[in-house]
Amino acid sequence: MRRHLPHYLMIAPFLILFGAFFLYPILSGLVYSFFEWNAVSLGDFVGFANYFEIWDSRDFGRAASNLLVYISLTVPLGITTAFLLALLVDSFTGRWANFFRSAYFLPVALPAFLAATIWRWIYAPNLGLLNMVLGWFGIPSVNFLNDTSTMIYALIAVDIWVSAGFNMVIILAGLKNIPKELYEAARLDGASKLQQTLFVTIPMLGPVLFFVLTYGVISAMQVFDTPWLLTGSSFISYGGRRNALLFPVMDMMGRAFGSVSFGQAAAYGFMLTIVIVLITLVMFAIRSRLSRQ
Amino acid sequence: MKISVSATAVTTPRKVRAVSIWLVAKWIAAFLVALIAILPIWWMINVVFSVPGEPVSINPRLYPTSLGDGWAKISMVLTETEYFRAYLISLLYALLTITGVLIFGSMAAFEFALFEFPGKRTFFAIVMLSLMVPTAVTIIPTYLLTAQLGWLNTMQGLVVPGLSSAFGLFLLVQFMRSIPRDMIEAARLDGAGHFQIYWHVVIPLSKNALITLAILTFIQTWGNYMWPLIISSDPQMYTVGQVVGLFNSPLSHHTVDIVMTANLLAAIPPLVFFLIFQRKIVEGVAMSGTKG
Repeated sequence: MRRHLPHYLMIAPFLILFGAFFLYPILSGLVYSFFEWNAVSLGDFVGFANYFEIWDSRDFGRAASNLLVYISLTVPLGITTAFLLALLVDSFTGRWANFFRSAYFLPVALPAFLAATIWRWIYAPNLGLLNMVLGWFGIPSVNFLNDTSTMIYALIAVDIWVSAGFNMVIILAGLKNIPKELYEAARLDGASKLQQTLFVTIPMLGPVLFFVLTYGVISAMQVFDTPWLLTGSSFISYGGRRNALLFPVMDMMGRAFGSVSFGQAAAYGFMLTIVIVLITLVMFAIRSRLSRQ
Repeated sequence: MKISVSATAVTTPRKVRAVSIWLVAKWIAAFLVALIAILPIWWMINVVFSVPGEPVSINPRLYPTSLGDGWAKISMVLTETEYFRAYLISLLYALLTITGVLIFGSMAAFEFALFEFPGKRTFFAIVMLSLMVPTAVTIIPTYLLTAQLGWLNTMQGLVVPGLSSAFGLFLLVQFMRSIPRDMIEAARLDGAGHFQIYWHVVIPLSKNALITLAILTFIQTWGNYMWPLIISSDPQMYTVGQVVGLFNSPLSHHTVDIVMTANLLAAIPPLVFFLIFQRKIVEGVAMSGTKG
């Protein structure tokens, strides 16, 4: 034990912080989720009441259905865009490859909250950049962020604007790791460019695409900053018109800091986590089945 | 051999034309996407550097029209609003977070990457598993813990809960694993103690990874909106993200060019970092994906 002491001393600061600000909160959150919350302190034990209350609430239904639409569009569209951008950048060499890669990555380097605060003005009715461009083609002004039929698409566009560059860089690194001989062999077998992409690039990128997909789903499940800042951006008002941009984490934060129901908010976090963990496990299971075949 | 040569010679003219159309389309696509990526940022800059009150319909704001007005807006935002204070708070928040993440992360990574001791695998596995746990589940109880400690509206409340970065540990361990054990043995034979090996051998060798982690941590902390939103409820402790949020909120009474000035000021530090350290940032992001 004494021989190993220096090792433990070196990892101690990290592990203590990790225990205090990561492990402990998870456990205490689990406990809180079964309690009522009186203003500033823990109240009565209520069993699963917090969970049922969330489940039965209208906001939860709204947030869940918004999330479903959002994820089923933003994840596939985002990854396809990133993949195409990676192929595009990869087809250039030298200075131009660097230039396009940097240009596409630029939105990622900005602070995450800024995407929403720039785009909310691009989306502005009448005077916004987007409506001005549409106006050139005779299209009447659209109030993108206040029209329930466009709001979620406006969010998805911002989302892809930000995430495409991030995923592109990861996919590009994967592309560089594919041995050139494989393409050579495919070409000698008479495979076209498209066939090479479908039967060499995509299978070889399997693990990278899986990472991008899993990471994309997990972060999309927790979307907060962008829809929050595209709508009311305060605990009094969020989610936008008819809650068309209300998402689970926003709903959770609102319950905690708007209506001071910390017990419910803690329960909300656990419900979300259970869903996220289940989805991740299913994805891993599908992946291992696919790779076995 | 001869046959194939003559075959390519015959098909060459057609192939060249097909290739060049493809090539032109590719270049157009590449520039179009670059335009979409850059235009919103470029537009933001042009709105700042324009004459106030000038209608957008007259000036589509595709180029800066008045540098003087731009500087006037920037100095107005910095002097007449709470922006400058928020700037300093965000800078301090980022610097302290970077320092802590680098020190605690590199100390732990040093052990996890280069030595064997009982419990190592278990500890490391637990920390790595935490990468899978969503922030949604920890944020509320971590807030309550911070509140119980009396750390609301304090710098330690902003910084300390974010110091044990599992991602940072992962990045550094990946890097330090490639350090040859011989170098450590050689230092030990020269009489260096455990801490000296860490400080004088491993830290200098890991400089690149540490710089990458520092930059990624800066961009992430500077852009963190959610944590300061709940920890700093006192306007005296607002970070840049919160102030920018206020400028942009539907209740804000600022005009679009002032709002864009606030946005631009928030964008400058990470943009400068990006222009200087592009390669390191891109490599760091790529590494998180391909080795994960």
